[in-house]
Amino acid sequence: MSAAGISIRGIDLSYGNNRVLRDVDLEIEPGEFFAFLGPSGCGKTTLLRLIAGFARADRGTVEVGGRDITALPPWKRDVGMVFQSYALWPHMTVRSNVAFGLEERRLPRAEIARRVEAALDRVGLSALADRRPSQLSGGQQQRVAVARTIAIEPKVLLLDEPLSNLDARLRVQVRRELRDLQRRLGITTIFVTHDQEEANTICDRIAVMNEGVIQQVGTPMELYERPANLFVAGFLGSANMLEGTASADGRVFETAGGARISVPTGRSLAPGAKLVFRPQDAILADPDTPQSGTNLRGTVSHREFLGAMVRYAIRVGREEIAVDAPFRAGDALLAIGAPAAVSLPAHATLFLAR
Amino acid sequence: MRHASTGQVAAAALIAAFLFLFLVLPVATVMYVAFTEKGTGAFTLVNFADFFRTELFVRSLWNSVYVSAMSVVWASALALPLAVITTRFAFRGAALVQTLGFLPLIMPPFVGAVAMQLLFGRNGSVNLLLDDWLGFKIPFMEGLNGVIFVQSLHYFPFILINLSAALRNIDRAMEEAAQNLGSSGFRLFRRIVFPLAMPGYLAGASLVFVKVFDDLATPLLLNVKDMLAPQAYLRVTSIGIADPMGYVISVVLIVASVAAMWLSALATRGRDYATTQRGGGGLARRNLSRGENVLAWTAVALILLLVLSPHIGLLLLSVATIWSFAPLPDDYTLTHYARVFGESSVYIKNTLVYASLAGAIDVTIGTAIAYLVLRTNLIGRRWLDWTAMAALAIPGLVLGIGYLRCFYGVQLPGGQPLATLWIMIVLALAIRRLPYALRACHAALQQISVALEEAAENLGADKARTLRRIVVPLMAGGILAGFVTSFSTAAVELSATLMLVQSNSDAPLAYGLYVFMQSASGRGPGAALGVIAVLLVAACTLAAHLLAERNQRMKGDVS
Amino acid sequence: MLHRRALTAAISALGLLLSGSAALAQTGKVTVVTSFAKDVTDPIKRAFEKAVPGAILEVQNRNTNAGVKFLEETRANNQVDLFWASAPDAFEVLKGKKLLQTFTPRATGIPEKVGAYPINDRDGFYFGFAASGYGIMWNERYARANRLPEPREWQDLARPVFHDHVSIAAPSRSGTTHLTIEAILQGEGWDKGWRTIKDMAGNFRQVTERSFGVPEAVNSGQVGVGIVIDFFAFSAQASGFPVKFVYPSVSTIVPANVGIVANAPNRATAEAFVEFLLSPAGQEVLLEPSIRRLPVNPAVYAKAPADYPNPFTDPRLGRLMPFDADLSESRTAAVDTLFDQLISFQLDGLKAATKTLHEVDAALARKDNPAARRLAGEARDLIAAMPIDAAQASSAEIRAAFAGGKEKGARQAELEQQWAAFGRERYAQAKQKAEEALKLAR
Repeated sequence: MSAAGISIRGIDLSYGNNRVLRDVDLEIEPGEFFAFLGPSGCGKTTLLRLIAGFARADRGTVEVGGRDITALPPWKRDVGMVFQSYALWPHMTVRSNVAFGLEERRLPRAEIARRVEAALDRVGLSALADRRPSQLSGGQQQRVAVARTIAIEPKVLLLDEPLSNLDARLRVQVRRELRDLQRRLGITTIFVTHDQEEANTICDRIAVMNEGVIQQVGTPMELYERPANLFVAGFLGSANMLEGTASADGRVFETAGGARISVPTGRSLAPGAKLVFRPQDAILADPDTPQSGTNLRGTVSHREFLGAMVRYAIRVGREEIAVDAPFRAGDALLAIGAPAAVSLPAHATLFLAR
Repeated sequence: MRHASTGQVAAAALIAAFLFLFLVLPVATVMYVAFTEKGTGAFTLVNFADFFRTELFVRSLWNSVYVSAMSVVWASALALPLAVITTRFAFRGAALVQTLGFLPLIMPPFVGAVAMQLLFGRNGSVNLLLDDWLGFKIPFMEGLNGVIFVQSLHYFPFILINLSAALRNIDRAMEEAAQNLGSSGFRLFRRIVFPLAMPGYLAGASLVFVKVFDDLATPLLLNVKDMLAPQAYLRVTSIGIADPMGYVISVVLIVASVAAMWLSALATRGRDYATTQRGGGGLARRNLSRGENVLAWTAVALILLLVLSPHIGLLLLSVATIWSFAPLPDDYTLTHYARVFGESSVYIKNTLVYASLAGAIDVTIGTAIAYLVLRTNLIGRRWLDWTAMAALAIPGLVLGIGYLRCFYGVQLPGGQPLATLWIMIVLALAIRRLPYALRACHAALQQISVALEEAAENLGADKARTLRRIVVPLMAGGILAGFVTSFSTAAVELSATLMLVQSNSDAPLAYGLYVFMQSASGRGPGAALGVIAVLLVAACTLAAHLLAERNQRMKGDVS
Repeated sequence: MLHRRALTAAISALGLLLSGSAALAQTGKVTVVTSFAKDVTDPIKRAFEKAVPGAILEVQNRNTNAGVKFLEETRANNQVDLFWASAPDAFEVLKGKKLLQTFTPRATGIPEKVGAYPINDRDGFYFGFAASGYGIMWNERYARANRLPEPREWQDLARPVFHDHVSIAAPSRSGTTHLTIEAILQGEGWDKGWRTIKDMAGNFRQVTERSFGVPEAVNSGQVGVGIVIDFFAFSAQASGFPVKFVYPSVSTIVPANVGIVANAPNRATAEAFVEFLLSPAGQEVLLEPSIRRLPVNPAVYAKAPADYPNPFTDPRLGRLMPFDADLSESRTAAVDTLFDQLISFQLDGLKAATKTLHEVDAALARKDNPAARRLAGEARDLIAAMPIDAAQASSAEIRAAFAGGKEKGARQAELEQQWAAFGRERYAQAKQKAEEALKLAR
């Protein structure tokens, strides 16, 4: 199976007045495990269905392996999709479900039998081939759905929230299986999810989407370290965001609470930009002995003991920020109401706009 | 399954008592003759041996099976395109088709057959024109094929309604998964969509089979006597003949009908796909290209023209002066309507009252039985279901005679026999149409997830309140469909009514029709009355459809 | 719906002078079960309620068989006063089951017989109030299109030209048709009579289950010719249908009857109704175009239109056959069942054989062939053959088979199967012989 890349160019899609996808451009490399990540209603499933041919764009093109498939109907695209509900046909056995796509391709009978066996073997379900879908557990059904799709050896594998109908323990196991399977097949795969952990753990790259627009594309680490905007920063992991105003020369950012933070050279502040930092990057300091670097002053309003660390909520002016402090045996905790100073290393601060 | 509450036991007992009193007992008082020996009155099965030794009866049995099966085939051929076009494509006429497609079920007795003869008979409009232009005739209405022709037109809505509902309930992902794997067009329909709609199709098809099997009016009006139901009728109603064979045939009819229903239930057991599907919404409706649209409209128009031809004929007949051996009436007049309005308003009022009461009784009992069967583990709950369904196969005449036997001797205060009360007509109609409502309610309840009820109980609602506040509102669409079917078919029912009508002032429309259709000059007024009946029932059906749609929209907004 | 409530009050109301003879009758609601169409009952109801103020005629329309069944099923608590229908044999059945009561009407001027048929039941259980004759009705447009000649006699209907154009009601379903069949059997004898009937039957298009089915089919032009009772044709003509009617020279005139039901709740008003029907006023209503039945009071014909058939003076209707009502009664079930099993249910076989015989006749007419003629004769004999003879038809054994009764013996179903098999085999053989004859004759 030779892996194929996917190019999505200038896609616009509306349902009535509702613009579901806006000017989407995307390049997915051959053999990549790619994720569409975003909250529900962000357009990620629509984009996936567009690639499969179930949605029609008002504008733009989709290419798979260099071939423009924009005008092709779903059944001519050779793009395998695993549905969120699995969509196993209840009137067929597991074996017939898996054989279906091969039969539609009019392959020789022996070839079909061989490939069905191989696909079922690959997902470890050979023993259950003659059962009906209703006699299988959720995890087994999911694997049948995958087997059914890979049996036709599609150019691209599309997974629509494939883990959402599984319980938490199974989810971890299955996502690892999916990743292994994808590696072995070397097939270009797109994985739609609203769960950042799922996306982070198995995907090579992620496209974060919101309101029909791709916010940022990158590896999980890139997205986490260098989010392109407030949405991405907030959606991947937790982040503190403080409002403020930039000085006239753009060198200094003054928060609503009055703290002044110098903007690293080479960075410009977009209008409406906020100061962003991760809770674990901030350092709680003794309010009486100011540290070097940026300092925010406030009081402890809440704390959660999480074992390896303590998460404090510090009220700074009208806003509240979260700070994670590592916990080592013998450490004393700050009391609720105690004054606190938060120092922000320069490398940990970001200034992001919407 | 949960344990039965006292309320459920009481409801089951009440329904059992009702069915026993108004179905089992009256029918048994008539049918027992089939099992008695001539002369001694002792129990015997020799009459059944006679049945199978008699060439006429065996021939009739096979003819009935053949005609019923072929009617299912042709009814499917009519219903399938309509159901597919209206549910799978963005087709503007969908509501129109679903409404008009229901009309053939509402064919008033007698006049309908006369209208059909005038259009399709040996010297009907079509054949006269064919003979004129092309020099040949097509025997639409001859023999068994004639019965098949008329019955397919008459009963195909059962398949249309059930199949459409089933198609609408298929999860869209089921179809998309197949497309994604390379399937499309007719293969997709044949391999995925239709098999998934199979339970709905079979429900409709078995109903058609049983109705055709048990219908006596159509074969008799086409002078086909070697079928089972007409044989039973001819024997039961012959004067001066104390012959058990009529009742023997009736028993065979009931057994065959119940067996057919049972087989179809067996075939769909464990395959109620609608409930195993999640999310996704209904089938994707594909847009039609200009050419496809023309094709779809042509197909729809042709089929509707065919299935509504009896109604068109009826309309013509109702405004015709004389229509005899001619493609069209000699002249047109409105006097028939004037006569009918003057004389028949009481029939119309009675019909509305009787049919709505019967429909209300049917959906109440239907909902209750469906609930008991699907949601409790009461012992014998299936028997309630089967008993109620057996009513489908009881000839109306047998029920009518049974009512007279059981209730005429019971005197009301004042010496009036119980059987002369008009409420008995309502009860007979309710029993006769109960199977339709029951199937609709059953299907509706089957599609509701038990979790919704459990959620209500979890929040503190007891069984009765859960039923009232959660189950019944969710079933509303199905209940309404059941009501409409019961109501509209009860409105044109004749056989049981004819036996029970005691006075003109209590008579429903069908009786009025019967009275008109006994004379040459009554043909026009009879047809006019028939048209009024059809319009009346159609208006009620349309109103119900609109109501159901609004209901559906409201439900759609919530989810 | 609770119409009986008004009844008790009305029952004490006083009757009036009727038909010259002074009758003091009570009036009020009176319920009649009838097979007559609205066209017949409405004018009579109007006239009756006018003639007897306070009386209300409540009409329950049921076909004859259903009416009999109804009275039978409700006898324990009877609410019906009168039974009013055409077929005398239905009244015989009711009388036999003791569902009628006797009455002696005061009306005068009504003779004992119309044609050969007694007008009233000799035991006083039911009374003829109108006569009707059997005849042939045809659709003129149909006849023109199919080039049918005008039929005159029963035998005409057996001619090849009428093949597949004739319709009749089953005698088991239509009392009047039964009388016509019985009249032919009595007039020509058992064997010859059945031969005539089967010759005609070979040309039948259909055997309908309702009496009205025949005129209905002729009116709409679905069938060309029907064997019907006269008023069906007359009222169709009055409605404007292009139909004609003729009495064959051998016709049956039969009375239509009315009788008082045993234990009638409103006996007095019921008697008033019978008196009214037999009075000159009641008889005159029968002349109305929508009814057109023959009054049984000869004096009333003075008021009839000029061309109105009069069975008491018309020489054509006067050529009458003797009619033995006892003989008819003794074999009713056998005759009806023979007709059903040998004709109604074997119509295809019978028609196929007859059609081939018509072709043989045509071929023989062009060129005679004695061998073919002989074979055709044998085929005709096979068709005409009957499984039982006249004596057996009236025998106690066969009557018991149909009566149910207490005795053991042959069951109806057994006899039917034997008779049907008898007919089926012979029609098949006849068809074979006719085909051989056709080969020879060509």
